[in-house]
This record gives sequence, structure tokens and C-alpha cells, in this order.
Amino acid sequence: MSSTTADRLKEFPSARWFIISAAMFFVITTFVGLLVATKFVWPEFMGTAKWLTFGRMRPMHVNGVIFGWLLAADMGVIFYLVPKLCGTGLWSEKLGLFTVVLFDTIILCAIFTTSLGITQGLEYAELPFVLDVGVTLAWVLFGLNVFMTIAKRKHKKIYVSLWYTMGAIIWTAIVYITGNFAVMFFTGVNQANLNWFYVHNAVGLIFTPLGIAIAYYFIPKAANAPLYSHKLSMIGFWSISFVYVWTGAHHMIHGPISQWLQTVSIIFSALLIIPVWTVVVNFFGTVSGRWDQVRRDPVLKYLMAGTTFYLLTCFQGPMQALRSVNAITSKTDWVVGHAHMALFGGFSFFVIAGTLYAVPLMVRRPLYSVKLGNHAFWFMLTGGLIYFFSLWTGGFIQGLQWNDASIPFVNTVISMQPYWVARLVAGTLIFTGAVVYLYNLSRTFWGPDTEEAPATETASVVQRG
Amino acid sequence: MKMLEKFDFNAGFFAACALLIFLVGATITTAYPAFTEDSWSKPNDGLHQYSESQLNGREVYKREGCWYCHTQQIRTLEPDTKRYGWRGVDAPISVPSEYVNDYPHFLGTRRIGPDLARVGGKYDKSWHRAHFMNPRDLVPGSIMPPFPWLIADDNGRDFDDLVNYLQTLGRSRDWRPAHDYEQ
Repeated sequence: MSSTTADRLKEFPSARWFIISAAMFFVITTFVGLLVATKFVWPEFMGTAKWLTFGRMRPMHVNGVIFGWLLAADMGVIFYLVPKLCGTGLWSEKLGLFTVVLFDTIILCAIFTTSLGITQGLEYAELPFVLDVGVTLAWVLFGLNVFMTIAKRKHKKIYVSLWYTMGAIIWTAIVYITGNFAVMFFTGVNQANLNWFYVHNAVGLIFTPLGIAIAYYFIPKAANAPLYSHKLSMIGFWSISFVYVWTGAHHMIHGPISQWLQTVSIIFSALLIIPVWTVVVNFFGTVSGRWDQVRRDPVLKYLMAGTTFYLLTCFQGPMQALRSVNAITSKTDWVVGHAHMALFGGFSFFVIAGTLYAVPLMVRRPLYSVKLGNHAFWFMLTGGLIYFFSLWTGGFIQGLQWNDASIPFVNTVISMQPYWVARLVAGTLIFTGAVVYLYNLSRTFWGPDTEEAPATETASVVQRG
Repeated sequence: MKMLEKFDFNAGFFAACALLIFLVGATITTAYPAFTEDSWSKPNDGLHQYSESQLNGREVYKREGCWYCHTQQIRTLEPDTKRYGWRGVDAPISVPSEYVNDYPHFLGTRRIGPDLARVGGKYDKSWHRAHFMNPRDLVPGSIMPPFPWLIADDNGRDFDDLVNYLQTLGRSRDWRPAHDYEQ
């Protein structure tokens, strides 16, 4: 029954290469994050080489994990689930492979530009102009491939995952162009406003809808249960597409920006509870009554933990936007804990689940080790929880200290040290989890042939027309 | 409900609606204030144009990622005005017109180190030199990295320019009654 390696590695080439390269960048750029975390505890760590200073390694870590890992992994899983939901192949695997090569080349270049200090000086938009053009091109090619696949679909009914994918592609095009090109024509507060529009919506209208598209597909699949409610998924989608985009200015609350814009961003931040809670109810409702499966299955573990972190993130978000809370938490490590919960605890967990479910089906054999899949999960979950809670606690305390002007600034830095040590431990656990995950994936791709039965897909519980 | 059913089958109609509904908020929060909020693009009276040296100083500030750890905004919060004041004088709250010549903006988002919006004139050049060589010599417990190459390379041009820039921060507000700004 065992097929040769060459046979097995024929299907979904674009998805496979996106996923495996993303997993490699996950390990590399998480390691960069770990080095950065070490500098908080030992400021002299790694000496005084220019390219190893905090100011250059931070953008390397941030751009690496959001683009090199998360976005690439998202695109890989989307290249798998869109053809599946459409009942047809990807429109062009050649174009897909070109997109992978283009995108990974950009990420490799970005590792050099950030370490050389070549930057546009704007958060999430550090990459130089040429690379921005490359990212835009890659996104257009990715979008073209997805939309053409949807256009020639065999299943007429459009499943909710396809809504979120299409929404993400359209919104991202505008958000990315605003954040990387339109900002070039403005200065000062105008530029800051566009910058925060981009940063916030990069999370909210790129990673959120792609992550949710993935979760909407794999939760019913992995739980082998029909989606809880189609109506809720409609409310969730249309409310997020209207509400999310208004909230960028909540990054500048109490700052030098018009009060009306701050108030608008606070109101819409609170309204985010609607799209988030509908989605979360839908996810938990689908798994309801089948929680025993979570014990065995790493895929469901990641999906359920991801859903929980998504809910918590989007409970924190509106709270932090309130003027009173913001006066304490803003500019502290609380926000760093919050951002890591969203992008690591939420959306990275969703996409990891997607890869663990889909890769065995792509290569027609079981996951190399379910046990290692579970181990990686526990490393990441424990690391994540220590990371989030230490930075929330430390950040909140530092925020309170800042509000007492009699405490010298450096004393508030010194009091953060125990939390930064905890964060370093957390980072080590997360990095270990990432290495185990990469090993498990690559053995599934390229390990020696086994006699075990190939992976099978659960029946088509994802609704189709 | 006919329309909702259409979303289940018509991808083009669906995509158009998703774009339009998104554009409402996108336009009102970005393009609209850019055209209506005059103070965002009109410089205040004391605001000067950066010299060539100061512009290079901003390039250094950008390249070394100073803006990841230092914000440049005194918020509408009393503790901000107290903490970043100097010798008994409160720091004035930042206003949009101060930033009109800033490209890119350095408003920042995280205070790993203190805010710098009012740092201009607080410390003299020799202080900055010693501080960039090793911050912990002057501020025990600081976690700021040392930047010796700013002083060692190219006869310290980057250091000179960076300090020239730092000394402009907040000066357009001329906020100290005694005018006791360090050089």
C-alpha cells in the first residue's frame, strides 16, 4: 500500500512549499525573538556589534514572524483549503510556486535589510520600497490564484471560509498599500494615523480573517461535526467587515490626535465584541459534546486553545481602548503580551492546526508523530501562558508606577526584571515547541516510508452546495 | 433575506459588498481627517525646518531603532507632564502642529526607555557622549544598548548629528521660563 516518496509529493506543491518554508522561518525568527528577550535581562548580551543590537533585531523578529511565518503559513493552508472547498484544483500551481519563491526571497532579503539598519522607520512597514513592491506583487498573484479557483469552482455554495479568504485578500490590498505607499506622502500626525490604520488592520483584516477562515474549515473537519450555525457565521463576517477598520486610532489614545477620532476608535473597539463572540460561540458550539476528542488530537487542541486566546485577546482589546485603562496599560509591556496572545496564541495556533491536519492528507500518509504533535502543543501553550501573564502583570505594575511621577524612570525598568526573566523562560519553551513542530512536519514530508495506513479525511461535514 | 442567500452563491457580488462596507470606515478614519484636520498639517509658530545635520540625525535615530523604545509624545495625562518636566516646570502636552516636519514620524508606541518629546536641552553634549558609550555608567539599571560606533566611526559625525537632532526635541514650544537649555 505504501507509495514511493516521489509519488506522494505530487499534490498541492504550492501549499506544501509555503507551509514548510514558513515553518522554517517560524523557528529562525522565534529564535531572533529569544535573543532579543535575552537582551532585556543581560543588556551586554552579544556585545556591541551593530547588527546585533535591539533596534535592528526587533524589526527582524517582528517582520519575520508576521510575514515569513504567519502570513506564509496562512497562504499555504489557504492554497489547500480553497481548492478543497471548490471541488477543483488550484487555478495555477505554477503561479502558486512562483508566489512562494517570490515571497520567500523577500523574507530572506528582509533579514539582511533589517540587520543593516535599512528601514522606513514605520512599525510593520520597515521593509524598503523595493521589497514593498515585491510583497504587493506576491499578494496580487496569491489573490488572483484564489479568485480564479473560486471562479471555476464545482461546488456552487460558497462556504464561510471562502468569505473570510476573499475579504482578507481585498481588504489587505488596500490596507497594505495605505500602510506602505500612501504614508510616503504624509508627515507627522497624518502619517501616524495612516501608520496605525495599517498596523491595526494588518492584525484585524489580514491575520484575523485568514485565521478564522482556517478555523472555520478545520474545526468541523477535526471534530467531525457540522458547523453549529450558518446564521452566526453571517453575523460574524458582516460585522467584522464593517466594524474593524475604524479602530486604528486607539493606538494613540491620550496622544496628539483629535478627540473625535479617539472616541470613534473606542466605540468601535467595544463593538468588536459582536463579531468576535459570534465566531467564538460558533466554534465552541461545533465542538460541544465532543470534548473527549480534544484529549487525543493535537489539531483540536490547537484549535480550541486558539479560540480561547482569540476570545481573550478580543476581550482585552476593547478594555485597553477605554481611556481609564489605557492611561495605565498603554506604552507598557502589557501591550506586548496582548499582541503576542493575538498573533501567537490565536492565529498561529489556528494555522498550526491547519498544517497538522492538511499536511498528512497532502502527502497521503499519517502525521509522523501524534505524540510529538501533542508535546509541541504543551511547550507552546505553557510558554505562551507564562509569556502573556508575566508581561500583563509586569506591564500593568509599570504603568501604575509611571503614573507616580516621583518614581524615577529607571526604577520602573529595574522592577520589570523578574517579569523579563519569566518572559525569557517562556520564549525558550515557545522556541522548543517550534523546533519540535518543524521536526514533526519535515519527517511527515520526507521521513522514510511507513507501513501505517495513510491519513484519511473525515466525511464532508463542511457544508457544500 | 434574498440578498443574504445571494452571498452564498455569487462571489463577485459578495466581494463587492465586502469592499464597500469596509470602505466606509476606512475613508472616514483616514482620508477624511487628512483633509479636514488643519492642525495635522499646519506647523506651529516656533517650528523650525531641520538643518541637514539634524536630518541626518533623524536618519540615525531611525536606523538604530531608537523609536522602538522611546516615544515622542506628552499625552493629555498629568503624570506625563510631571514626569517629563524639568527643574520644577511641567512639560507641555504635545500637539499635532509640532510634528509637521517629521518624516517619518517618531511618535512611538512603547516606552522601554523614557519619552523624548521634551528631551531637547535637558542634557549637554558631553553627557550624551558618555551615555551613548555606556548608558549604565550614568544610569545604573538602564538596559539601553551602548552605541560606540556612532562616536568612533567617521569622526563621530553620526553622534554629532544625532545630538543636534535630539536637542531640537520640544524646543519649538520654548517651554522653560528660564531658557536654561543645555547645548
